[in-house]
Amino acid sequence: MMLFWLLLPPLLMFVASFSQNIWARRLLPISSFAVLIPVAILFRLPKPYALWRDYLVADDLNTYILLLASVVGIGVTLALLTLDRHVRIGQKAIYRFYRFFGLFWVGLSVSILANHMGIFWIGLEMATLSTVYMIKTNHTPAAHKEAWNYMIVGAIAISLVLFGIILIYASAKPLLGEKAMLFDALLHSAHRIPSPFLFEMGFALAALGMFVKMGFFPMNLWLAHIERAAFYPVAALFSGILESGVMAGFFRFSQIAGTVNYDHLFLFVFVYTLLTLFIVAFLIFRAKDFMRLFSLSGVEHMALIALFWVSGGTFAALLHFGAHAFLKPALFLSTGVLESGGRYRFAGALRGYHGVRGKLFWFLVGLFMLAIVSLPPSPMFFSELYGFGAMIDNAKASHHLLAMLGAITLLLVLLSVIFYRFVAIYQSMKYEGEETTKIVYASEVAALAIFALGLVALLLPGTMAFLKSIG
Amino acid sequence: MVDFLIGLFLATLITALFTTRLYRLLFWYALNSLTLGLLALTIGSRLHDRAMLLSGALTILLKAGVIPYILKVLSRKFELVRQIPPSIKTQYAIMLVPAILVFTFYLAEPISHMVQGNANYVAVSISSLFLSLLLMIEHRNVAPKIVGFLSMENALFLLGTTATEGMPMLVELGIFFDLLMAIVVINLLLYREEAQS
Repeated sequence: MMLFWLLLPPLLMFVASFSQNIWARRLLPISSFAVLIPVAILFRLPKPYALWRDYLVADDLNTYILLLASVVGIGVTLALLTLDRHVRIGQKAIYRFYRFFGLFWVGLSVSILANHMGIFWIGLEMATLSTVYMIKTNHTPAAHKEAWNYMIVGAIAISLVLFGIILIYASAKPLLGEKAMLFDALLHSAHRIPSPFLFEMGFALAALGMFVKMGFFPMNLWLAHIERAAFYPVAALFSGILESGVMAGFFRFSQIAGTVNYDHLFLFVFVYTLLTLFIVAFLIFRAKDFMRLFSLSGVEHMALIALFWVSGGTFAALLHFGAHAFLKPALFLSTGVLESGGRYRFAGALRGYHGVRGKLFWFLVGLFMLAIVSLPPSPMFFSELYGFGAMIDNAKASHHLLAMLGAITLLLVLLSVIFYRFVAIYQSMKYEGEETTKIVYASEVAALAIFALGLVALLLPGTMAFLKSIG
Repeated sequence: MVDFLIGLFLATLITALFTTRLYRLLFWYALNSLTLGLLALTIGSRLHDRAMLLSGALTILLKAGVIPYILKVLSRKFELVRQIPPSIKTQYAIMLVPAILVFTFYLAEPISHMVQGNANYVAVSISSLFLSLLLMIEHRNVAPKIVGFLSMENALFLLGTTATEGMPMLVELGIFFDLLMAIVVINLLLYREEAQS
């Protein structure tokens, strides 16, 4: 029953998209808000809580991720109300967008709650396929090309994940039978897996597929190009929900891989994320439009989250994850207004706002721009402090302190490059360029305010204590 | 029988790589799926695994029948280009295919003794995956890329069938569902392209 209530808002969205009634569209944000009720109840239930046999099981980790994804879903539903006022889109295309958004949300909710590798994959594939059409809603040759690109690269990435899952299943099936598909059963029996090498091969392939989906090395630019070509809510969904779902899978797989052989897991993820950050930092430095800038910044943060997680900084990773899940969709949704003066103009993007709504908009966007580069009191400031602390603790335990200090220095240099670029862009947005009047709608400010409240909530002692308890 | 079917599976995929006509490519894909379905039926009947028998039957019905037929209808409806010469020259592809096969057998060697069943089947599955990727890469047209994507799905199904003696039924049904959804999305992508022009 609980599962039904959790999936009801996206299913309602799917059904309402067929009616093509303007009132149905206006009621969707309210129905989306309703998802918070079952999520709140889920928080209070004893964990682990079986939603559907052993297949979908809620624990503290995935309930937290589900809450983040639900808030992003609500924010995007609000922002979608004014999509047609910022971009050229027909009514039929809008309703189709809602239809695939509903499917996407269902797929990712299933994926996040999955305790079963196969169901995790099915949800992810469903979300991937529904995204293809959301990209295509923009009727331009660039969007058409990127929709096909997404279909093909996404299919390759997701196939790698399935490939990895099959190998993991093959490695543990002699011991666990069909239960070798369950994350919790694998975690409990990780020490006894008969073929650890086969498991690690499977994990490496699955992780590679998930990394490709998140835009890690060597596919750093494919997401940025797709998000540039699609309408801005697609990018918000990617960064807020899709990447959360993929990262939830990475958390699950890496927990098991860490039990099988922690050193191998750490080295693999450490080298991969450092390489990704090295390339992304310079790509961010060269970014010339908001979409690519935010998209590449998303890759940077996902790499940091993965790095903190495998370093043992669970709290840091989850705090960073929460902050990113709120900040990035907020920034992507604001591009609908920020790019009023043209796609490639940073200068003056934060000028020309009048009235309470306008002033609130530029204040919130300014806040988000500075929060994403970890200026205090952004939750990212604290998560990075805790994350680097966890890396040093990890190095002390493994007698590789000097190497780790070198890596952290390199990381800080790369993060400084990103910091410098963001601050320069912020100054250009606020103090340079011509002032042209921009229109901000109430639903957009409401969406941004929800994300700002989410960020504040992350800093509350109760939230911090909850995140620490997950670790 | 299993060896024969796996050999046929690989042969149909290799032939598809050299095909220059769309309908012929769909035919080879259908044959590839048919051998996969027969393989699942053979292994399923040997293991008395009803789930594998069902997925074998579904494979034959959907992948060897319904999906190639839908793709043919779509290609007619949207007047897709039927002449699909690969961008990699035949003489190079002839060298590339055995290189992939040798490489994957070498790659699968350390894990081959760890899986249940015949070790070479895993190597064939991995090489099929690479060959499907090659099919996607070597064509500029959309239709062969779609067939490449579907062949990749077949390669993964083969790996699941041979390396693990069948994935859980729920997963296989989910994969079928996603495959059908992929066809719907492909239809929509083609439709919108048509509507614009």
